Amino acid sequence: MNNIRKNGLSLVEIILSMGILAMIMLPVFMTFSSGNANIQITESEFRAHTAALELMEQIISLPFNLIKAGSYDAAKIVDGGAFANSPILFRLSENPDLKPFLQVEEVKRGEKIVFKKITVKIAYPSARASGRMRDFTLKTLVANENI
Amino acid sequence: MKTFKKNPPATTAFTLPEILIVCAVSAIFLGSAIMLFTNFRQGFSRSENVAVLLQESALFMARLRTDLNNAVLSGPGTGSFDQQIQALPDSLTFNVYSSRQGRINQVAYRLLPDAKGGSISRQEADQAERILIKNHVASLSWQMQLERFATPGSGTFRIGVGLDLQLKTSSGREKPFTIKTTMFPARLNRQLNNP
Repeated sequence: MNNIRKNGLSLVEIILSMGILAMIMLPVFMTFSSGNANIQITESEFRAHTAALELMEQIISLPFNLIKAGSYDAAKIVDGGAFANSPILFRLSENPDLKPFLQVEEVKRGEKIVFKKITVKIAYPSARASGRMRDFTLKTLVANENI
Repeated sequence: MKTFKKNPPATTAFTLPEILIVCAVSAIFLGSAIMLFTNFRQGFSRSENVAVLLQESALFMARLRTDLNNAVLSGPGTGSFDQQIQALPDSLTFNVYSSRQGRINQVAYRLLPDAKGGSISRQEADQAERILIKNHVASLSWQMQLERFATPGSGTFRIGVGLDLQLKTSSGREKPFTIKTTMFPARLNRQLNNP
């Protein structure tokens, strides 16, 4: 009488192999979904970039002596609000998710102010309905044309 | 007569319950995989369409911003401050300094309405008109904004171009992409305040 031989795979083996396959496939699908999330971040970054340029351009459009040195946070940078307690008003498009920050520093040579360094930082949400924020920063120098 | 002894049945095949369980597990696994893949495909398609809109709007806004940064006071068709940039519902026109040609050219952006979706074109002087956004514009408005602030002396002027752009995908199923901003032509503003 021949011995009984079990040539087929057992149920446990098959289930285990499928479990391993599922674990291999999971990161693949995670990669797909992260690609979609990256598009959302790109959209937020584009809005932050546009908002940064809007704030930067309106400041560098001012005459040199009216660009007052100081730090201005989101509470001070509001549409229709005064810039540095002057008659100049901020003009900002509505973007409730974005938190702007503006810093103006004087660059001196001797006693004369030769440049003003403008830094605009926009904090934006890295993903929808998440508390995490990312920053987008723009910097430029405005030359004193009166020296 | 030679007789063969019959072998006992070998248990090399799956039993019916085993096959049924494997089929059920496979069905659950494949169903989940197909569902995930379908969701991914839909998400990818949406993201791809949004990416196209982002790319087109970025191209258009970068081009317009560059032109506005090169906008100057002098040139044909200029007059008082509020006529430096002529914003009509279907066109935006102003003068720019072309450093390559060493002269002042007129630049015109036009909105070309279409039932499928509007387009935006740009034309500089007598050069060929170039389409920047094709058949994706759901709505567009641009306004010239001139502000005067009561600073010491004769005051401070600031010109801006308010832009409200809404783009839609070709399928029209996805949510439209809206961008609202104001662009300030720095060189033109400095010219206004230091004539």
